[in-house]
Amino acid sequence: MAKIGVFVCHCGENIASNVDTANLVRKVSEHPGVEVCAEYKYFCSDPGQETVKRAIRENGLTGVVVAACSPRMHETTFRKACAEAGLNPYMLEMANIREHCSWVHSDKEKATEKAIEITRSLVEKVKRNNNLKPISVPVTRRALVIGGGIAGIQAALDIAGAGREVILVEREPSIGGHMSQLSETFPTLDCSQCILTPRMVEAIQHPNIKVLTYSEVEEVDGYIGNFKAKIRKKSRYVDIDKCTGCGDCIQKCPVKKVPSEFECGLGNRTAIYTPFAQAVPNVPVIDTTRCTYFKNGKCKICQKTCQIENCIDFGMQDTFEEYEVGAIVVATGFQIQDTTLYGEYGYGRYKDVITGLSFERLASASGPTSGVIKRPSDGKEPETIVFIQCAGSRDPSKGVRYCSKICCMYTAKHAMLYAHKNHDGRSRIFYMDIRAAGKGYDEFTRRAIEEDGAEYLRGRVSKLYEENGKLIVRGVDSLLGKPVEIAADMVVLATAIVPQPDAREFAKRIGIGYDEYGFYNEAHMKLRPVETATAGIYLCGACQSPKDIPDSVAQASAAAAKVLGLFSREQLEREPVVASVSDATCAGCFGCVMACPYNAIDVRDINDRNGNLIKQVADVNPGLCQGCGTCVTFCRSNSIDLAGFTENQIFAEIMAL
Amino acid sequence: MGIQEQYRSEAAELLSSGEVKLVIGFGAGSTADRRRPLFARTPEESEKLVLDQNCIANLTTYLVAGGLLTDGKKVAVFLKPDGIRSLNILIAESQVKAEQVVIFGFAIENNEVTPLEGRSISDFAKLGEKLRTATPPPSVQEEAERLEAMGSSGRFEYWKEQFSKCIKCYACRQACPMCYCRRCIVDVNQPQWVSTSSHTLGNFEWNLVRAFHLAGRCAACGACDRACPVNIPLRLINYRMGKEVKEAFDYFAGESSDQNPVLASFRQDDPETFIL
Ligand SMILES: Cc1cc2nc3c(=O)[nH]c(=O)nc-3n(C[C@H](O)[C@H](O)[C@H](O)COP(=O)(O)OP(=O)(O)OC[C@H]3O[C@@H](n4cnc5c(N)ncnc54)[C@H](O)[C@@H]3O)c2cc1C
Ligand code: SF4
Ligand code: SF4
Ligand code: SF4
Ligand code: SF4
Repeated sequence: MAKIGVFVCHCGENIASNVDTANLVRKVSEHPGVEVCAEYKYFCSDPGQETVKRAIRENGLTGVVVAACSPRMHETTFRKACAEAGLNPYMLEMANIREHCSWVHSDKEKATEKAIEITRSLVEKVKRNNNLKPISVPVTRRALVIGGGIAGIQAALDIAGAGREVILVEREPSIGGHMSQLSETFPTLDCSQCILTPRMVEAIQHPNIKVLTYSEVEEVDGYIGNFKAKIRKKSRYVDIDKCTGCGDCIQKCPVKKVPSEFECGLGNRTAIYTPFAQAVPNVPVIDTTRCTYFKNGKCKICQKTCQIENCIDFGMQDTFEEYEVGAIVVATGFQIQDTTLYGEYGYGRYKDVITGLSFERLASASGPTSGVIKRPSDGKEPETIVFIQCAGSRDPSKGVRYCSKICCMYTAKHAMLYAHKNHDGRSRIFYMDIRAAGKGYDEFTRRAIEEDGAEYLRGRVSKLYEENGKLIVRGVDSLLGKPVEIAADMVVLATAIVPQPDAREFAKRIGIGYDEYGFYNEAHMKLRPVETATAGIYLCGACQSPKDIPDSVAQASAAAAKVLGLFSREQLEREPVVASVSDATCAGCFGCVMACPYNAIDVRDINDRNGNLIKQVADVNPGLCQGCGTCVTFCRSNSIDLAGFTENQIFAEIMAL
Repeated sequence: MGIQEQYRSEAAELLSSGEVKLVIGFGAGSTADRRRPLFARTPEESEKLVLDQNCIANLTTYLVAGGLLTDGKKVAVFLKPDGIRSLNILIAESQVKAEQVVIFGFAIENNEVTPLEGRSISDFAKLGEKLRTATPPPSVQEEAERLEAMGSSGRFEYWKEQFSKCIKCYACRQACPMCYCRRCIVDVNQPQWVSTSSHTLGNFEWNLVRAFHLAGRCAACGACDRACPVNIPLRLINYRMGKEVKEAFDYFAGESSDQNPVLASFRQDDPETFIL
């Protein structure tokens, strides 16, 4: 006979204010099989859990329903309590009367009715629960970090520093990400390369880190502790082990006028190139779309120049490598929005309207102008620069709805850098608000205004056009309520920070979630900000949301801590919620084999005694199955059942409603 | 020699040489214009094969009969284009091995029977493309458009009335080559997901399950429709599901034998309009 204990939690006022718990207890007590039913302010508290345990022991309960919050919140808590009282932890069910009921309804009477139904339905389920035992699986204590920007580098260094192996995959020819393009960094104005390069070098030299540049993650299979990642190493056409980085080939390459991506098109590169001087690894790649040999079949000057035999190999092919890893850190960063969509700013039409990132290159000592701020059109030094903040951000009609978070700060930085380099220059900044929350940040923007003469104008720009070599910027100063017109020599747009163009597609490939924009979703915005909803996959840096360097680095170290926590054990206990197939009824369509997102299902032959094939059926590998239930819903002949969520349990749950 | 005679003699050869163990074709039926399936196991039996404009049934249904193909031996079967389409689906769903089937292909146009070139499924690769772009029978399309014009509540009433006739005989299921499960979900009684009695709810449950289980798998052969003793226009349901699948996933069931079943497979650019 079932003896079920039901424990109704008030969750302070969260539930009790909207659900008549006394009534709920009364009604549920009358339900067949319910042995005890009690209510309490906080069942998750120590005394609350004690009450549950005592009730199990004293009444010999065979199952427990806690009517409270979501199982995501406290299922583990109460499973533990059950286990401590000698009950199989899987004989617990959570009836979610908070998120599914009290929080979303305002009519107390109806909410109470619903809470009663939800609770009864879980009582019916728990009556059909079975004792289950957790599954133990080994953990591969090696991490894969995807994206070699500052976030990925930091995460890799932290994990490697704790003695675990790391595979760091970067798709560009060099690691470094956007930070390598920056001139000086707020809020301290230290040179970006000077603080980044040592980290890059440390990463590539670290005995525990394998850096794979110019490589992409093609496929990820498996699950927490046991992922398999297939990586495509794109052919550089230069042997990374032989090349000494002398750069002779680059010197001699006749194709010299390729707009450099790294320099935002403000400088040129050759067909065989490294993106920037401090590239790590310092090994060039050939851009086959530009190389004369790949276009016309003639040239190979680089190969002739190269002193090392067979170092440049025009026949090189992409290669694939597979790695087993236990955890994955996604650090794929961001892109800046294409600002041509703002016709009124004239980006793309006027050469001297540039993005903030281009400005970083102009201000950078290693940049195309050696750090002198010059107009791209005629090379003159500008006397007045207009900066336009929120050029795309906080603009639901055309751009993105969110705040890109870093642009207020870098615009202040740009004004300062300009003032330091050109003492007579004027910076006029159109802004909506100045958002400078962060250690030393408000002080930084104040400094820009008070010491470096940045002139802030609150308002938006409505029109921009060229006249007599000047860029005429028209807008409204909304504080004065007056139109303004400024003749500028250069305009810098603080473009929105957006996800990588392939962010969604990539998320699908590795199996993580993303928001409406394509930024990757954390498991819980407040309490689990560096984990994804997929166990074993973590996030850091600007791929999650626009972030500056301090935040990216902090999150990277946090992700590393999570990975190291996982790696502190040799075995991982997994939920025994796994699928199994009924041989008798399986029709062998193998749709489930294809549908299973974890490749957990194989084909198995059933033979008669003489070894003759009778039929083939699907077979779930419990070590790989994640209990997602996809196969169950797919199977037309209803031949798959999921432990913990069996057909009988679900059916009883539904019928109780 | 007419096509009937030609196929008869080829069938006899295949059987006498032992190349195939069975020929599934058509034989005389209970009335002059009806044909029933004929299973020829000897060259003599193949003499009774009939092929004319009345041979409309989709014989692939018999290929998936329990255990017929487990011995690895070959079977020959008479198939119209829709039958070839369902054979493609059955191969894609691992029910039939391509190399085990010899096809006697034929088409019926304007009451004329013409042979189709090729004997193995790979010979019919072009046919898939042709069928994909072919327009469905105007009668079905007209009916479908009439339904579409009714609006959702009108359609609901329509189907309620139609389904109320259903006697749960499952003739539609027996006739359908895609309903090859050894145990159909409607026969599951632990728990009893689909109610067995013939009241409106139970009838709706069954017919909706049937519709969904055939989404992206129906070859539009019309076997179910013809089998239904109470004339429920099942073709319209199948047509609508086929259209949905084509629009959402650009998928045409049975176009080729190496298609990935649409509802079991996943493409990165699948629409996900229902996920917020
Ligand atoms: C104009 C401008 C000025 C800025 N100034 C400052 C400043 O002064 N101070 C400050 O703190 N911050 C500043 N920032 C912000 C800073 O650039 C970011 O905080 C930082 O770059 C985020 O690092 P990340 O590693 O998350 O991303 P990224 O730097 O974007 O690095 C991501 C890396 O992942 C790689 N990648 C992407 N997808 C894949 C894939 N699928 N497979 C493999 N590799 C992949 C990319 O190639 C890239 O190398 C500025 C940003 C801009 C745009
Ligand atoms: S072969 Fe290509 S990369 Fe090498 S020097 Fe010629 S153009 Fe440059
Ligand atoms: S989906 Fe069902 S019938 Fe098909 S192979 Fe899997 S278990 Fe068997
Ligand atoms: S529940 Fe089914 S689909 Fe999901 S992981 Fe397990 S076997 Fe695969
Ligand atoms: S053949 Fe017709 S009556 Fe019989 S189960 Fe199918 S729909 Fe119902």
